[in-house]
Amino acid sequence: MNFYALGFLQSDFYQKFRNAFIVSDRYKLYFEGLGVTLKITVFAGLLGLLIGTAVAFMKLSKTRNGKPTVLSYIAQVYTDIIRGTPSVLQLMIMYFVVMASSKNPTLVAVLSFGINSGAYVSEIVRAGILAVDKGQEEAGRSLGLSSRTTMLNIIIPQAIKNALPPLGNEFIVLMKETAIVGYVGMTDLTRIANKISTRTYEAFMPLIGAAVIYFIIIKLLTIGLGYLERRLRKSDSR
Amino acid sequence: MKKAFKTLALILAAIMVVMSFASCGGTATADPSAANDTTAAIAETSPAIADGILTVGTNAAFPPFEYAGDDGKPDGFDIALIKLIGEKIGVEVVIEDLEFSSLVTSIGNKIDAAIAGMTITEERLQTVDFSTSYYEAMQYVIVKKDNSDITTADDLKGKTIGTQLGTTGEFLAEDDIENANVKTYDKAIDAVNDLRNGRVDAVIIDRNPASVFVGQYPDELKIAETVVFDPEEYGIALPKGDAALKTAVDNALAEIKASGEFDALVEQYINN
Repeated sequence: MNFYALGFLQSDFYQKFRNAFIVSDRYKLYFEGLGVTLKITVFAGLLGLLIGTAVAFMKLSKTRNGKPTVLSYIAQVYTDIIRGTPSVLQLMIMYFVVMASSKNPTLVAVLSFGINSGAYVSEIVRAGILAVDKGQEEAGRSLGLSSRTTMLNIIIPQAIKNALPPLGNEFIVLMKETAIVGYVGMTDLTRIANKISTRTYEAFMPLIGAAVIYFIIIKLLTIGLGYLERRLRKSDSR
Repeated sequence: MKKAFKTLALILAAIMVVMSFASCGGTATADPSAANDTTAAIAETSPAIADGILTVGTNAAFPPFEYAGDDGKPDGFDIALIKLIGEKIGVEVVIEDLEFSSLVTSIGNKIDAAIAGMTITEERLQTVDFSTSYYEAMQYVIVKKDNSDITTADDLKGKTIGTQLGTTGEFLAEDDIENANVKTYDKAIDAVNDLRNGRVDAVIIDRNPASVFVGQYPDELKIAETVVFDPEEYGIALPKGDAALKTAVDNALAEIKASGEFDALVEQYINN
């Protein structure tokens, strides 16, 4: 046993591990990087949810005679532009052009990713609302509820249930997408892995290490979302 | 609860699988380099150029040593130099444009050598060999034109400093300047743009690119001339233990310097 333990400590593998995580307390850097990643993800996710919901209602808005409104056109243009351009370009344009004078890179990243995510969330929310059977709205209206009350108390609770799985998906995609903030000089988890490999001249350990950390965080998130979804579906099994 | 344990066990299993792949990779990369050592010594030829092609990595964002030429392909002092060396050795030189930070790790697998205004350091020598030095450089500090509070290296303490990822400027800022908030960029020009936008207080970069960047924005930027760091030597990075290639490159370099071709390149690319 001791022989094996000694062999392991002298192995090339362990030396690389030591260089990537232990030497000069480098493991702390990964957590700092993870902090930046999570901060951007959480705030951009919330902003995206806010924008996405608003834009979804703009898209669904209709005039009295059933035609799309000006608001719905604006919403459509926004979605087209955001979905039609790479997010890394959006981030760089935001950072180097639109908000070139901002001294707060985190704010720039949150805004850029939030606006990006909003476009995708708006489609998810719109789909969630449209997936609720038309009969639900008709029933509400024929029982004498106003269209506003029908929307808030009958359609939306069911729409949330429809939209939750794709929303979780979008949040996960968003978290991984933040890996591009290194382009504008921010130090997130991916950038830390990159930085450490430029010091140790060994790419394998830092990259795999960062990948494992992303995986664990997203797996935990998936477990949480699964729990929430089961709670929401409790009333379904009758 | 049981379910949670099961998931946790699955995660751990996944990590272990990844790690076991990791150990395979580790040994696989260690072996060929050992084999290279002996082949090079016995055969007296370099395995890297056995196919008649020398694949050289660079990072074409470091003027005047390397930059994207008018046709989009890398051009500059280093590129001209390595092509000349290839001519002397009798191999075809193929240039690959990579991120500077990935050059050293790519030698021996994706590329045979790297020429990118790379300083010879102890740390890098543990992974690669270097040719004899071909240029003496120095780290310069760029600040805004109206800046007057950065006049010595000590003044950089606690400041926000922009650098290019993986360069000696970054290592200098991180290791030798106390409490510096170091921001790293893929391209040096991004750091310079953030200096112009006021997001960083200073940029540390090699002397010649610094002069080029300041030359681009003479009204906004200047070099903090009183901040002086130790001189550095540029070398061509070569696979570790490939003695035949190192000898060939060193001989070619000496020949180029002796014949005056080197001075002609300096004149053409750096001094004009």
